[in-house]
Amino acid sequence: MTRPSWRVESGPPRPSTERALAYAPEDGSFALYNDYADGVAVLIPSLRAVSVTEPFPIWSGASAPPDGPHPLGPRTSVSGYGVFTFPYGPISLGVPESGKFDVTTYGERVLNLAPMGGFKSRRIRRAVVGLPIEDAALQVERIAGNFSAAHVAAFLSAAESAEPHEVPTVELWTRGFAQELQRIYNHFHVLARVAEAASQNVGLAQTHALAEEVLRLEGRIFGHRWLFGALLPHGPPRRLDPAHRKEVSTELVRISGEFERLWTLFLESRTFIDRIQSTCPVSRAEAVHWGAVGPTLRASGVPWDDRLRVPVPPYDDLFVALPHVAGGDALARLTVRMEEVRASLLLLEQMIDRWPTSAAASAPNPPVVEGRGIGRTEAPSGDLVYDVTVRSGRVASLEFRSPSVANWPVFALGMRNAVFTDFHFALESFGFAFAETDG
Amino acid sequence: MPSWIEQSIARGILTTRYPHAPASDAEVPLTGRAPGPKDPGTTPRSAIDSCPVGAIAATTVDQGKCIRCARCLARGFAFAGSVESVARARAELKTGPGAVPTAARPVPLAEFGRSLHVFLVDVGSCNACNLEVLGIANPFYDSQRLGIFFTNSPRHADVLLVVGVPTPEMREPVLRAYDAIPAPKAVVAVGACPISGGAFARNPGLVGPLDGILPVDVYVAGCPPTPVAILDAIRAVAGRARPAEEA
Ligand code: SF4
Ligand code: SF4
Repeated sequence: MTRPSWRVESGPPRPSTERALAYAPEDGSFALYNDYADGVAVLIPSLRAVSVTEPFPIWSGASAPPDGPHPLGPRTSVSGYGVFTFPYGPISLGVPESGKFDVTTYGERVLNLAPMGGFKSRRIRRAVVGLPIEDAALQVERIAGNFSAAHVAAFLSAAESAEPHEVPTVELWTRGFAQELQRIYNHFHVLARVAEAASQNVGLAQTHALAEEVLRLEGRIFGHRWLFGALLPHGPPRRLDPAHRKEVSTELVRISGEFERLWTLFLESRTFIDRIQSTCPVSRAEAVHWGAVGPTLRASGVPWDDRLRVPVPPYDDLFVALPHVAGGDALARLTVRMEEVRASLLLLEQMIDRWPTSAAASAPNPPVVEGRGIGRTEAPSGDLVYDVTVRSGRVASLEFRSPSVANWPVFALGMRNAVFTDFHFALESFGFAFAETDG
Repeated sequence: MPSWIEQSIARGILTTRYPHAPASDAEVPLTGRAPGPKDPGTTPRSAIDSCPVGAIAATTVDQGKCIRCARCLARGFAFAGSVESVARARAELKTGPGAVPTAARPVPLAEFGRSLHVFLVDVGSCNACNLEVLGIANPFYDSQRLGIFFTNSPRHADVLLVVGVPTPEMREPVLRAYDAIPAPKAVVAVGACPISGGAFARNPGLVGPLDGILPVDVYVAGCPPTPVAILDAIRAVAGRARPAEEA
């Protein structure tokens, strides 16, 4: 009998490390977008090293994502005995969003997995051109509803840095507050999704309930469960006065207690840990090489976080814990996220204690009229970058690189040689959203 | 050592009494209710102009267009309307004195007494609608107690729930999913996106409202609709009563 044989050939070369290092300042810089066609990573130096108004490429022109279906990772061809490729999606079992995965296998092992995006493109990048900033923001917060606070914060800070002017401290603190709440929601959501993939039914129900409690809290403070309008000038009224802040604090203490009990139970569950341990490993070298971001990067041993690297208020004034572990597998990613729940709870507590009160803190915000700016924030799944040009008070161009886009390549690589049954644990451990991938 | 069982008992019963009692304030945030003029007879001109999606007209508010952005709040409007905003015809989503009553349409799945199997398809959403739909299964809403079950295959489904604004790339897949569902079947458009395009209504290159490509039986407004509104919409497919009608 002939032995099965196969050969994996990566298409275009990986982004060159030499070039990456040449661009990288010592404090670390990251690939903004892997331009696979040229095999070149377009890099953005950390904002500390560069003045905010200095323009630099985010997408190298032709690299902006096309509308139709397109690959989100390295193009790879695999050939050999019994090798076949099957499409999974765009409407796929157990993946609640629309996106596609081309899975190449010879029967059991995944030889290559190619995530495909572009099914959900609402053409937002083009549609917002010509709109006033606050109208464009209505679409920006709906790029990915579960990451709305991060997207709006990055978009506004890009627009605001287009022209030198002060943003009221209270506004910046409110953005931080909303982002930390939404981070906690998303980390709970990721835990629930992994628990579901592992058929941990009681754990799933309990985690799902905790996530719902965070949504309710967001609804109570900001009038909207997904924070739409929460950070915009004409959004629903906010309830962040001292009495409400105290209520929130009590609620957070309760949620924190429930969370600790739950996470302990998960950690004691052998079946749960067995399924995520060594699943979809991403080495430190791979993570850096491919420009992974957020909990994915921190779970591969790189302590990098925009809240510390580009500290804007309120983070410049608060203690930000930076959990990172070396494992690189799904367990490591989940561990980092759960540590971050604690870190975010601590941040919220600090903010509640030290909420800015002076009149100067809430001075009115002058409108942005002209210029180009970069905005950057640590979204729940990682570094999010916006590049916005404003002309006569209207958006003239908008580009963004989402953490999902940055992390698809390492997911695809981590799945090589895995068994297909690992697919769901692996996928959910990254916290992807096709919504922000496509825009 | 604590166990999962002890943990569940310690948590107690979280489940809402909805639909047997009206939804509570905890379940419905400010923007979870339909907007309308504070003084029912008068719609200020400034409110009409403030609406980014053109939902407000002189005597009506089109809840199917509203993205709950709250801009009209400073202009004589309030979120004081229905929690459900569920309709069996597109025109019924218009509220206010100018709304034209529509002829009653038959209940799509009246014969489905006890259980409904639901298949979710995303045709271009922001993910918030997907998450609210999945949220109805959490212990707070426990959709199973109402006989609502999610299925992973259109062949086992009775109801197609559609979230998002139809993109050209998802047109074919959603039509195929619809065809794969055995008759009798019903389609529910969840949120402003599939109903009117919502925040993306004027974006270039999209397909347009869902009812242009599929027969929609039930519409549920909101951006996103709250889980209680989604429960109500799925129940409306089988003609089940609302809390107000039960009382
Ligand atoms: S909430 Fe926003 S979208 Fe809805 S009617 Fe008011 S202004 Fe229009
Ligand atoms: S209706 Fe609103 S919440 Fe739902 S998918 Fe569309 S933008 Fe998102």
